[in-house]
Amino acid sequence: MKRKNSKSVAATLTTATCALLGTTTTTPVNAQEEHAWEFDTALLYYGEGDSRVQDASVNLLAVRNFVDDRVLSLTLGVDSLTGATPIGAVPFDGPQTFTSPSGLRVKTRPANEIPLDDSFLDTRVAFSAGWQQPWGRLSSFNAGVSASKEYDYLHLGANFKLAHDFNKRNTTVSLGLAFSSDELDPVGGAPQALTSMLDVGDLSNRLGSQSKDVLDVVLGVSQIINRNLVVQLNYSYSSADGYLNDPYKIVSLVDPVSGDPVPRVPTPGVDGPSHEYLFEGRPDQRTKHSIYGQAKYYMNGKVLDASYRYMTDDWDVDSHTVDLRYRWPFSGQSYIEPHVRYYTQTHADFYRTSLDSSAPLPAYASADYRLGEFDAITVGVKYGRQLQSGNEWSARVEFYTSSGSVPADLLIGNQAGREIYPDLNAIIAQFSYSFGW
Amino acid sequence: MGSPCELLVDSKSDIEAAALADTVSTEAWRIEDKFSRYLPDNVVSRINNSGGEVVTVDDETANLLDFAATLFEMSNGRFDITSGVLREVWTFDGSDRVPSKSQVEQTLKRVGWDKASWCRPDLQLAPGMQIDLGGIAKEYAVDRAAMLAAAGSGDACLVNFGGDLVATNAPKGSEGWQVGIDALGQDRNIAQKLIRLKNGGLATSGDARRYLLKDGVRYGHILDPTTGWPVIDAPRSITVAADTCTQAGMLATLAMLAGPEAESFLEDQDCKSWCLR
Repeated sequence: MKRKNSKSVAATLTTATCALLGTTTTTPVNAQEEHAWEFDTALLYYGEGDSRVQDASVNLLAVRNFVDDRVLSLTLGVDSLTGATPIGAVPFDGPQTFTSPSGLRVKTRPANEIPLDDSFLDTRVAFSAGWQQPWGRLSSFNAGVSASKEYDYLHLGANFKLAHDFNKRNTTVSLGLAFSSDELDPVGGAPQALTSMLDVGDLSNRLGSQSKDVLDVVLGVSQIINRNLVVQLNYSYSSADGYLNDPYKIVSLVDPVSGDPVPRVPTPGVDGPSHEYLFEGRPDQRTKHSIYGQAKYYMNGKVLDASYRYMTDDWDVDSHTVDLRYRWPFSGQSYIEPHVRYYTQTHADFYRTSLDSSAPLPAYASADYRLGEFDAITVGVKYGRQLQSGNEWSARVEFYTSSGSVPADLLIGNQAGREIYPDLNAIIAQFSYSFGW
Repeated sequence: MGSPCELLVDSKSDIEAAALADTVSTEAWRIEDKFSRYLPDNVVSRINNSGGEVVTVDDETANLLDFAATLFEMSNGRFDITSGVLREVWTFDGSDRVPSKSQVEQTLKRVGWDKASWCRPDLQLAPGMQIDLGGIAKEYAVDRAAMLAAAGSGDACLVNFGGDLVATNAPKGSEGWQVGIDALGQDRNIAQKLIRLKNGGLATSGDARRYLLKDGVRYGHILDPTTGWPVIDAPRSITVAADTCTQAGMLATLAMLAGPEAESFLEDQDCKSWCLR
């Protein structure tokens, strides 16, 4: 065939075919090759207000689909954290000086502000690999490993999951197990729980590296109710053992009447803390139970995804999470997906804003705002678009706001009139691109 | 159709699905009965046994002959419904029985649409010539069956006659029907490529199991009617996606006939295609 003629072949063929079939129009072909590899790439920015934590991350997910439903998935994530985070000390009307986590210098924070530690800057690299394959006609098996490294933390994990379909494949039950072993090697060494923050250069209450083991078990049932509705119910058990403290968090020792930090005088000629602070101390065991329910409802291409989680643990933290997403496709290739999430939790039984200097020390204490009582709302929207090539990009913007409340019986003296709990506002922006190869 | 034929329907109703299956199979058998060259007493048999006499054909047959005439012109004689007699000397059974040059030349005298006189609705073949609509009729049947199915129901259907297929829509909750292209010469259950077809036709040309091997030369089963010899250096398999199965099938066949230039031919057509060499 002469090349110069060949371009007109398709056009002539279309005319001839329409004549043969007696039609004037045909629906345009829509065929896409399913690629062996599917990639999801994402750039994520998370930024807290008041120059607190900023996190930028790059995430890559690669999925290799083999025939017979065997799937290999690999993930790689790199993120970079900067900014400041509350260290747990109570604010009062004078400046406060703290020894840095390294124990090598001091930092003074202004009066009437929740003290922050802005010395951290970290890069984390995370990797995981998973393999899924059928096991017999109605079951499937999953196994995976994960690892992540930041300069003071190493995580290693392994996970397994078995799923079995029955009831004409309308019901799936699954059992998942995950085990992780983490090692912490904090800057300056992990402090001993409930010991004092010391002068610069004094590392006598610092320990070597610490470890933590976590076992997770998940039992799940998913049920297809009808063509439009799928529901999922999970029970999870999680048990953590080992060093569960945040080595960078402290609790103020305060005057039993005024509630102000107890002043301290550093050794002459040496810098040191201006007040009495203790490194936090948490139990070395935590057991969580949670129930998770999810319903996905399809309505002519639109999808409502609603979920609820209840978690309770032996630290007395109870939480409720409600999450709603509504995926709304339009113009064939695009969709818009509003998202609302509400979260509320009670405080841990050893949560304290500060410790009474006249009372004996409790067994455990933490002023970490994440163990306090708070509510959080996330509101966001995602826009996604499928390209002609079958590739897809999406952009997501979300706003997160949390506000805490400290029970009156935990506030001492002047603390009642001050803002003790650090409220938080954050913005989350993500751009994703998915493509096949 | 010489191959398994199936209809997949995404329907809530057994009755509707059964009615669609009935529509599709009735149309498939009607076309097979009418155009198969293996059956007596049909229009193809009348033409092939006309002994040089004029045969007047019905509208549908005339449409197919018009279509064949267009393809003959378009391909400079390489797509030729009269080339079937070459099979008298070529049997692609994996053996080394390659015919002699003179055998091929003798047979080639009875090949050539340009030797026929086609003046719709009258067709006159030279004595000894035959037509074979097998290269068009299967794809045509798939399109016809899919059109009838789509007219009779809004349900998503996949009509598949021996690997030539048409989808009328995607099954609910999916992006399309998943179609596998066989890995040639490998485990038959392992698909080399997976294609998600939502709308339109998909056809494959090529059969790696049909060839001759002599003196180290592999003769594939696609014959060039202008020479009487197999097309040299054609891909082992070509799959094309197009608006209709007929277009997809013809593009795949024309690409096969282009031999080493199959890929560049398909590129020029701006259609989605997959070649295996």
